[in-house]
Amino acid sequence: MAHITINGKVVKAHEGEMLLAVIKRLGIDVPALCNHEAIEPTGNCRLCMVEITRPEWEGWKKNVTSCLYPVEDGLIVNTHTPELLEIRKTLLDLQLARCPNSELIQKMAEEYGVHETSYIANVEGDNCIMCYACTRICEVLGKSAISAVMRGQKKVIAPPFGEEPVDCIGCLACAQICPTDVIPYEDKDGIRTIWKKKFELVTCKNCGKTIVTRDFADYLIEQRRIPHEYFETCDDCKRLELAKKMGGLITKAAEVAV
Amino acid sequence: MNIDMNKVTEILERNPKEPGAIIAVLQDFQREFRYLPVPAMVKASELLHVPLSKVYSIATFYNAFSLTPRGEKVIRICKGTACHIKGADKILEQIEAGLKLKPGETSADMKYTVEVVNCVGACAMAPVLIVNDKYHGKVRCDQAMGKVKRG
Repeated sequence: MAHITINGKVVKAHEGEMLLAVIKRLGIDVPALCNHEAIEPTGNCRLCMVEITRPEWEGWKKNVTSCLYPVEDGLIVNTHTPELLEIRKTLLDLQLARCPNSELIQKMAEEYGVHETSYIANVEGDNCIMCYACTRICEVLGKSAISAVMRGQKKVIAPPFGEEPVDCIGCLACAQICPTDVIPYEDKDGIRTIWKKKFELVTCKNCGKTIVTRDFADYLIEQRRIPHEYFETCDDCKRLELAKKMGGLITKAAEVAV
Repeated sequence: MNIDMNKVTEILERNPKEPGAIIAVLQDFQREFRYLPVPAMVKASELLHVPLSKVYSIATFYNAFSLTPRGEKVIRICKGTACHIKGADKILEQIEAGLKLKPGETSADMKYTVEVVNCVGACAMAPVLIVNDKYHGKVRCDQAMGKVKRG
């Protein structure tokens, strides 16, 4: 256990866990766009910057991305210094210029007093903030079907050769992790379309609700050794079945007790 | 476009079969074919255990790689600050007119590709014209096409 001071308050934290996790646990409002517990932090959005210092640093301070900074005993952290507020304001101003149509960015910028970007707004662009959350989660899932293509101003997140991604299994992880909801997909008539690739959907044998794509189910059955029966019914029906079983057990237990 | 898959195999054979060798392999492909053919990239991805998306990411990131076939002679005109001041535009005009190609284009006979580059780090020689690997410095407009033809 390490003891660190956050905004004047001494708190306990695990040595080595990232500062942002501790800050969030305390309910302190530090914005972050590219951070997610499922993926390794990369410090891409830089919004979670905090100021750190130590008594022996004799007044010397530095700003670090808290998602990437591990807890060490004795650290003194400040999350809302005037300098940090200014940095976050500038970052959100730039993000707003890049994604003027993103409601999330608009809202976050608004909280930092940016009602309109002071830069030239990229009105025709999409809302991608290049945080790589999608490519990172795809890698975590063992697929790496999409990646950054080109560089500089032309950079986009896309499948190889701009074609249907061969390695994609239609799991939707990329679309769901995306903080600004840029990746479109559609589930229609038993078919899921994402990255222009079409997938057959597996539906619940009881209620007909969509569970996962056939490719994703096969991948989990083969690679992660999940029994194939798991993909026969949806979560709701599984719960219902469990409730029935539990109910039966309770009745039986009551009978035994009598 | 058909490519010699034996050459692809040969290149893959002589490089280490590990993810770290991917750039070296792509460089060899580029040297051999003057571009990165899709089947070659797919083969490299499989053999080196690098996801295809990453191979494509690398291939599009570096300017040294081309996804479309380049000509036998790659003519690069530097338009960095120093070359720009020294009239790189005029040199480019000469070459565009002489070869009837715009930057990024390759002639139909696959002989020439014209490219504009930013800075090649040879500012003292500005304006710089590069024909394949040969650097020509202090190029004059009336010399430009001669240097292109002679190499």
